[in-house]
Amino acid sequence: MIVNVGDSIPAWSMDHVDPARMRTMAAILRDPYPVHWDRSANAAFGLEGRVINQGPLNLSYIVNMLLEWAGPSCVRRLTVAFGRPVLDGEHVVAGGTVTSVEAHGDERWAFCDVWLDREGEHVVTGTAVVAIPPADS
Amino acid sequence: MLTEGELLALVGHRFPGGHYRIAHWENWLLANCTGRDPMPGDLAHPVVMFHAPILGAGTSISELFVLGQAAGAGSVGLESYDWEYFRPLREDIDYAVDGGIVEAERTTSETGAIVDRVAFRIEFREGEALVARVTNRWKFRRTAA
Repeated sequence: MIVNVGDSIPAWSMDHVDPARMRTMAAILRDPYPVHWDRSANAAFGLEGRVINQGPLNLSYIVNMLLEWAGPSCVRRLTVAFGRPVLDGEHVVAGGTVTSVEAHGDERWAFCDVWLDREGEHVVTGTAVVAIPPADS
Repeated sequence: MLTEGELLALVGHRFPGGHYRIAHWENWLLANCTGRDPMPGDLAHPVVMFHAPILGAGTSISELFVLGQAAGAGSVGLESYDWEYFRPLREDIDYAVDGGIVEAERTTSETGAIVDRVAFRIEFREGEALVARVTNRWKFRRTAA
């Protein structure tokens, strides 16, 4: 796999953030926070009838992009900050670019800027370190 | 609301510690929630490192809300994650889990809004080997400006 500084990572899209998946996720996480599953919980801050996607799910779309790009065990580090919430039904797209490539022991690591966009607005931003397959693969 | 002294005293709090084994069903459902196919073989989806450290360390999201004295819907938000992976995470391995609160800070905006930031760090080990480490920062909104 040939990777160069400035390369774009192929985008990964979640076309419709699904409230059913949020409910399953809440059960997996043992997350009691009703903003993720109770549509009446968010009225107080102007989101009546909507539910808020879990932060780990927002991050997971970035992770899925990385796994599709460099393989299922490629992630070495994720450092991200969360912006405005993502709501049910929204369309978000994960993207990234390579900022450097360095040898690390027996591996080559790509250092990447990553983000999750909703209609051009970054809702998650950060960096990822990814082990990339050998150049001849 | 916590006093600033009580907030700062959270630093050093240790979770009970314990073990965590990522179950196949849990990994399958987690991958499904993310919108991708199941992970190949016994590899765990990297996002397992949100809930598995919390539960494995012997705490819970509910307890973290209580520790930070969250005041209800909308009062807690995610600030940032720093997740490090030193080995691939796999299903059905008994990981030793340990961690605690490592940072706490109170900030007041120009408009008087108070936000407390609390960070916890939890490590996953297989035997003596460090497998993964997470540092998560949450924010607790105390007052509207």
